Amino acid sequence: MATSKEKPESSKGSLKPKANKASSASESVGDNISGTELAGGLVSKGGAVAAVGLGISVVLGMMQNDSFRRFSFSYLTAYMWALTVVLGGVFWVTLQHLVNAKWSIALRRMGELIANAAPVFGLLALPILVPVLLGHDTLYVWADHAKVEADHALHQKAGYLNPQFFLIRMVFYFGFWTLLSRYLLKQSVAQDKAGAADVSQRLQRASGPGMILFALTLTFFAIDLVMSLDPYWFSTIFGVYYFASCVLAINSTLVLAQVWLQSRGRLTKSLSDEHLHDLGKMMFAFTVFWAYIGFSQFMLIWYANIPEETAWFKERISGEWLDLSWGLVLLHFVVPFFGLLSRQVKRNRKWISFWAIWILVEIYVDMYWLIMPNLKAEEIPVSLLDVTCWIGMAGALVAAIAVSAKNVNLLPVNDPRLPRSMAFENI
Amino acid sequence: MSHDSKREMKPVSPANAPLHGLFAEYDSPWPMVEAAKKVRDAGFERWDTYSPFPIHGIEKAMGIRMTVLPWIVLGGALVGLAFATTIQWYTNAYDYPWLVSGKPFWSVPANVPIMFELTVLFAGFTTLIAMLLLNDMPLLSHPLDLKERFGRASDDRFFLFIQASDPKFDEHATRGLLESTNALLIEEVREDRSTSPDVPKFIGYAMIVFTTAAVVPFALAAKARYTHSREPRIHAVADMDWQPKYKAQRENPFFSDDRAMRPQVQGTVAVEELRDDDHLYRGRMGSEYARTFPTQIQANEATVERGRERFGIYCTPCHGFAGEGNGMVTARADQLIASDTGKGMAWVAPTNLNQDYLRAQPVGQIFDTITNGVRNMPAYGPQISTEDRWAVVMYVRALQKRSSAAH
Repeated sequence: MATSKEKPESSKGSLKPKANKASSASESVGDNISGTELAGGLVSKGGAVAAVGLGISVVLGMMQNDSFRRFSFSYLTAYMWALTVVLGGVFWVTLQHLVNAKWSIALRRMGELIANAAPVFGLLALPILVPVLLGHDTLYVWADHAKVEADHALHQKAGYLNPQFFLIRMVFYFGFWTLLSRYLLKQSVAQDKAGAADVSQRLQRASGPGMILFALTLTFFAIDLVMSLDPYWFSTIFGVYYFASCVLAINSTLVLAQVWLQSRGRLTKSLSDEHLHDLGKMMFAFTVFWAYIGFSQFMLIWYANIPEETAWFKERISGEWLDLSWGLVLLHFVVPFFGLLSRQVKRNRKWISFWAIWILVEIYVDMYWLIMPNLKAEEIPVSLLDVTCWIGMAGALVAAIAVSAKNVNLLPVNDPRLPRSMAFENI
Repeated sequence: MSHDSKREMKPVSPANAPLHGLFAEYDSPWPMVEAAKKVRDAGFERWDTYSPFPIHGIEKAMGIRMTVLPWIVLGGALVGLAFATTIQWYTNAYDYPWLVSGKPFWSVPANVPIMFELTVLFAGFTTLIAMLLLNDMPLLSHPLDLKERFGRASDDRFFLFIQASDPKFDEHATRGLLESTNALLIEEVREDRSTSPDVPKFIGYAMIVFTTAAVVPFALAAKARYTHSREPRIHAVADMDWQPKYKAQRENPFFSDDRAMRPQVQGTVAVEELRDDDHLYRGRMGSEYARTFPTQIQANEATVERGRERFGIYCTPCHGFAGEGNGMVTARADQLIASDTGKGMAWVAPTNLNQDYLRAQPVGQIFDTITNGVRNMPAYGPQISTEDRWAVVMYVRALQKRSSAAH
């Protein structure tokens, strides 16, 4: 992946960054790179799906008559699922700048647009935030002051796990992600117009500290929203576990985005099977990474066998949850491992799209496995709410990504490394 | 740089050696790629291209099929996985079972890291070795090496070489083909007759020396096993041999009771070990023995069956299958007393459980007897779980009912 060369006979090799107007960007690349018409449709359709899906969920949640407890769990599951894509996007774009990657330049604008869905998800955090600030233990038992005072362990952790500090952290997380992804997109779009090569260097410099802060925010975000559902349990690897899903999600989403955009006649000349092949390699690698991290977490706890650590896994290996745990091992690791092993599969757009969808579904199952056992139900509490919340959240995700795609090229036309990305080949 | 004296001193093949092939030299990759396409289309099989750096698309220009290497690597990986699984199962669970922290002898999670590592290791080695073999490596000598010009294949020149052994090779026609490809020059390569095909003698000597040296560590180990020494043993890792810690049952003057093992802090309760149900755990209701079974114990056939099974394991050796106090231990004691060895010895037979005073005992008292023992009978509390002890009580009750019905 690191070594990419221009094809000797490629006519695209003659492409040079030109200081022409943005309107003629499409002509200069010789490809359809306009996302404006597509974005408009996606925003209205995605927004409608989000409104209907989440609206129905609220109604269903009210009918449960459990002061929105079941609804909150479904909502949190779908929310964490959608954020794997968005945060994966923030990470992915920052990473490409940081390592000065060439192969991915032609895909980068899509990553930038996905990352820019972050502020919308800051707003979508409100249904999770509000009960916490009101001191309800709908999701998090530590939000309830009376329960914290009555429990020694929670009392000790209250310095970190309290509603006010939780709010401050959430504002900081989403503030940082918004600023970072905004900056990366704005500068990149400015380069489209001015064509200055020093923009690339500036972005590379910013992505170093950006990456460090991203690692910290992502880790604490996963701890705050998912791990603290069971405030007695702790695992230092938990942030990395969520991170593995983020990288899987962004690579799968980019595959689907490329295949879909090309089916609509966009970027047909700029992106090729080579890009799908590389994204597929990342999907394969992080399928293994996810299993590696998941097993590392499990094995240390299993081996040490300390009750306060094993309790979390005990919930997940008893009753029907054991079936789900085995299902994850099999369908989130073994099956996609062999499915994605072959080079031919990664270069076949039907197959790689199939596996991208498969992985996105499995990430949802993984989020379900992390979050739902905290309802303390003996059986897997499948509910229509899970489906409606997911549909609504997926609609919101699509709309939030498409919102920033208006009046923006789908290709960073003036990045000096773009020709190398368009012409690169896997050995 | 490439014109060093070493290369000039190399023996040159005599001009009358048979033809090994023809090579064409290019000063940039493009004409060589074009030439490769021509040679490919002409149907040649034994030929190759050489370049200082990888050229994308050369494998298509040369008509090279996809390599089988990935399949070999997959095979190597699976062999590694199978090997790791087998050797861990054989050593830890089968040949020499060794209990580690109360886990089952064969517990898969503990073995997964080794499975993973050996899968990767075998796959890695297989990749390297199979790649070398597929490329006809190691190749100690090649006729092309005799060409001084060919050294520039690692610097700034590109070469295409066709072997004379190719079925399509014809000296004039092939030269014509190469001449049509914008080559800088075309040269003949003769077979290498300057070196002997035998393995050099020093390699044989070196192998003898290394083989002998390899035996030395084993010889030293064997010597150490069968000889004695007055020297103290070498402590290579001193802080592992002398660890700053107290072992179980040792003395420690630091504490007033001189014990290194510290008793639990009073009132400590382990998880799920809070036994505040007197009825269930001690068979008592207030100061009296309980006359009923605790609510947690269900009076059904399954419980009695469980009790019969536990009774069979723990109680029958002394009390006998029907609880009449005539188990195997009693039978053996009677046999010994009757024989010469046991002359003058006495044996108090275990209690017959089917006696009226025992029938009248509250179930709680029988439970207490099983838990804590009585007279010669040891305590079974630590061996039999609470639920099982109640099941045994229930079975004893069933035995008593049956014997009283028989009378």
